[in-house]
Amino acid sequence: MDFDVMVIGSGPAGIQAAIHSARRKARTVLLGKAGNSAMAGAKIENYFGTGGPEDGSALLAKGLSQAEAAGCSAIGKNAVSASAAGGSFSASLESGAEISARAVVLATGVSRNSLGIPGEKELFGKGVSYCASCDCNFYKGVPVVVIGGDSEAALAAELMTGYASEVRWIADGVAADPILVERARRAGAALAVGRPVRISGSAGVESVALADGTEIPARGVFIELGGRSSADLAMDLGIMPEPDDSVKVDGGCRTSVAGVFACGDVTGRPWQVARAVGQGAVAGSNAADYSKGAGS
Amino acid sequence: MVLELTDETFDAFVRDNPVAIIDCWAPWCGPCMRMGPIIEEVAHTLAGKAGVAKLNVDENRNTSLKYSIRAIPTILVFKDAVLVDTLVGLRQKEDIIESAL
Ligand SMILES: Cc1cc2nc3c(=O)[nH]c(=O)nc-3n(C[C@H](O)[C@H](O)[C@H](O)COP(=O)(O)OP(=O)(O)OC[C@H]3O[C@@H](n4cnc5c(N)ncnc54)[C@H](O)[C@@H]3O)c2cc1C
Repeated sequence: MDFDVMVIGSGPAGIQAAIHSARRKARTVLLGKAGNSAMAGAKIENYFGTGGPEDGSALLAKGLSQAEAAGCSAIGKNAVSASAAGGSFSASLESGAEISARAVVLATGVSRNSLGIPGEKELFGKGVSYCASCDCNFYKGVPVVVIGGDSEAALAAELMTGYASEVRWIADGVAADPILVERARRAGAALAVGRPVRISGSAGVESVALADGTEIPARGVFIELGGRSSADLAMDLGIMPEPDDSVKVDGGCRTSVAGVFACGDVTGRPWQVARAVGQGAVAGSNAADYSKGAGS
Repeated sequence: MVLELTDETFDAFVRDNPVAIIDCWAPWCGPCMRMGPIIEEVAHTLAGKAGVAKLNVDENRNTSLKYSIRAIPTILVFKDAVLVDTLVGLRQKEDIIESAL
């Protein structure tokens, strides 16, 4: 599917960018899951015009229908990779679909990657990993656990079946596309619903404990939350992220790659809705103009 | 400009440099690609004070096994041939320099 503007991320930044882009009559597609926005489930205290604490999920839902009413196609799927070639950009979705566009708005927020459970920090590098594709080779022939319910976890579970002796995939809810879940299962990953509460081991990981008391023996634990990270997507598009994973933009929300714009928490602090939508408006308008050859 | 070590040259490098900083990496690893330029800067800043090198863990399994490397990037810091610090994951230039001083 071919568009003028592809917005990656369905938080306030991406939704606002999509609204501005679509209202400028650019054919606009919006990717990502609003339910994964930092704002989902949060009480927004200080946003203009709301009169006080406002339900973040409700604002997101209204914003999404506003974007669709403006003519944007919203696809509630994660991008699993992106690429740039010959002045156009494309993204592969977890559903297998390929999307291409003349301009991209990166609005993926701040990736949450750690679980914050006991043992996680202590055993990082001693069995705990946040990058299955980096570290798979170190876990040949040993049992591993993959944690997370979204597309990155599904891909990691599938990948690890090619290395580990046994792959247990633990999620406290599955949000990954059914196609990816099926692929991981068919490859041999055993999916179980559960919430990890502790990682144990001394010299290296020995087991993962779940909230229901189950203790799963494992030598490796891959923590893979959400979709492909902002930093990885930026690198896919030829942008070198800052050491803190943020993406640098100028006042027009332009990144170092022509045609790629970024807005919201992914561009740095303060992490606030007002800043996200402000940058979203700029990025969406400039991306629409860029896609029509009007420069930016 | 940062030297690439192998299983064969690793020990000599650690022995010959009073302070040795070795970035263990692999070509398919995104965070390792980001570490590359940072390590170059560390080498530049510490020129004459520390030996800075890289080790491709994919091609040099023995060394990775010996130091129990299970995640990349990992930076090994040696002083007088003794391992004094292991930094796992993407690190800032300042962190690496601090651990070597
Ligand atoms: C508990 C809490 C309370 C808060 N209170 C306030 C407040 O009172 N006031 C305030 O201003 N701010 C508040 N914030 C911060 C605010 O929620 C964020 O600043 C804001 O949501 C950032 O918007 P964003 O669009 O940049 O990123 P996000 O809202 O995080 O959205 C990112 C989007 O990108 C998507 N995405 C990520 N990876 C991919 C991928 N690979 N493919 C496709 N899509 C992807 C995600 O699914 C999500 O839809 C609060 C946050 C929290 C957690």
